[in-house]
Amino acid sequence: MNGAWVGTVLLGGVAALDATPVAQTLLSQPLVTATVLGLMWGDLPTALSVGVVLQILAASTLPVGSRTPEDYATGGVVGTGVALALGAHAPFEYLRQSAMLVGTFAGMLTAVGGVPLIKWQRRRNEGLSHWCEQALRAGDERALGRAHAAAVALAFGVGVAYCAVAMGAVFLLTRGAVVQESMRLARAWELLQPLWLGFGFAQLLHAFVQRRLTRAAVFGASLVGAWLVLVMEWTR
Amino acid sequence: MTHLPGSTLLAMGWRAQLLQATWNFERQQGVGWAYALQPALERLYPDAATRHERLAEHTAYFNTQPTLASLALGAVARLEADRAAGTGPDAAGIARIKSVLGSTLAALGDRLFWFSLRPFAAALGVLVALARHDSPWPAVVLWATYASVHQAVRLLGVGWGFAKGPAVLGGELRNRLEAAVTVLAYAGCIVLGVAVAWSLAPGGEPRPVALQSALAAGLGLGLLTALRARPSPTQWALALGVLGLIAAWQRLGRS
Repeated sequence: MNGAWVGTVLLGGVAALDATPVAQTLLSQPLVTATVLGLMWGDLPTALSVGVVLQILAASTLPVGSRTPEDYATGGVVGTGVALALGAHAPFEYLRQSAMLVGTFAGMLTAVGGVPLIKWQRRRNEGLSHWCEQALRAGDERALGRAHAAAVALAFGVGVAYCAVAMGAVFLLTRGAVVQESMRLARAWELLQPLWLGFGFAQLLHAFVQRRLTRAAVFGASLVGAWLVLVMEWTR
Repeated sequence: MTHLPGSTLLAMGWRAQLLQATWNFERQQGVGWAYALQPALERLYPDAATRHERLAEHTAYFNTQPTLASLALGAVARLEADRAAGTGPDAAGIARIKSVLGSTLAALGDRLFWFSLRPFAAALGVLVALARHDSPWPAVVLWATYASVHQAVRLLGVGWGFAKGPAVLGGELRNRLEAAVTVLAYAGCIVLGVAVAWSLAPGGEPRPVALQSALAAGLGLGLLTALRARPSPTQWALALGVLGLIAAWQRLGRS
C-alpha cells in the first residue's frame, strides 16, 4: 500500500512535467494517469470511473495563449488516487461509489487550486529568463541548459509536493465520511456521474459543431444510429 | 546559404520538447526558443562572441502553439543560415518575421491541436473507456491518437520549416490544416454520438429513466453554458456536484 502511495505522488510529478514543461504528449490527461494508477493499485474499474469524468471535464479546459488553465494533470492524479486510497478493494459497491464521488470532487478542487501554483512557477521563470540572458551575453552558453534543468526540477518538485499535500489532506478529512455516509454519497454518485458526463459531452460537442448545422446533424444521426444498433443487438 | 545536416534539425526538434519548460508571463517561450535553436546557431556561427549575441537576441519574447513551433524554428534557422552567409535579414528583420510566424502558427495550431485533435482524442478515449471499464486500452487510444501526430510534427516540422523558410506558411499548409480540422470535427461528432448512445444504453441495455434524464439534463445544460467563457466548465461541474449532493441527502433523509 505504501508503494502505491509513493507511486501516485511520483506520478503527480511526472504529470506536472508533461502538462506544460516537457513534451506535452497528453500523458498527463486524467484518463491516462487513472489507468496507470488503476494498474498500480490493482483496481482499474474504480480508477477509470473517476478518470472518465475528470477527463471529459479536462478536455474542455484548453491552454490557449497565455491563459493559465485549471491543473487537471495534478487534479487527475489526486482525484483518482483519493478514490483508490479510499475505495480500492472495498467489500461493497456503494463504498467504492462513495469513494469515487469524493475522488471526483477532490480532482476538480485540486485542478482549480493548482492555478495559483502554476502562476507562481511562471513568475519564478521570469527571473530565470533574465538570469539566462545575462549569462549568455557574458559568454556562458551552458546557461540555457541549466535554466531548463532548473525549471524542470521546479515543476516536478511542485507537482510532487502539491499531489502529496492534496491527496493526504483529502484522504484524512474524508475517510470517516466515506464510510459513515456511504449510502448517501453512493446515491449522489449514481445521479452525478451521468450528469457530469452529459455536461462534458456537451462541451466537446460545442467544440466540434461550431454552430454548423451539418455537424450537428452528423452527431444526431450517429447517436440515433448507434442507439438503434445497440438496442437491436441487445434484444436479439 | 549554409546547409544544416539532418542531425542538427532533429536535435532542434528534440529540444523543442522543452520549449515551454521556462514559460513565463514576460517572454513566454523566449528562453525555450533560444534553447531549441542553439544547435543550429552552434553550426552557423563558429565565432563564440557572435553566437552568444545571437542566442541572447533569441531569448526575447516569443509565443506560438507549441507543436507548430517546430515549423517556425526551421524557418528561422533558414533565415539565420542566410544571415550567417551575409545575405539574410538583420536582427530586427528576423524578429519581425518571428512575430508573424508565431501569431499565424498560433491561430492555425490552436484550431488543429487544442480545439480539434485534443478533444477528438479525449472523446475517443472516453468512448473506449465507457465500453471497456477493465482495460488499459482507453488510455492507449487517447495517448496514441494525440501523441503520434504531435510528435511527428514536432520532430519533422523543423526540417519542413528549414526546407521552405518563411514560405512554409503558404497556402498549401493552410489548406491541409483546415482540411484536417474539418475531418476531425466530423469524426468527433460521430464519436460523441456513439458515446452518448452507449451512455444511455450500455451494451444495448437501457439505463433507468432517472439516469438517462440526468445525462440529458447535463447535455442540455452543457450546451447552454458552452457559449459563455465564465463560469468555466469546472466551476459549473462543481456547482452541479453540490446540488447533486444536496438532492441525495434530502431524498435519503426522507426515505
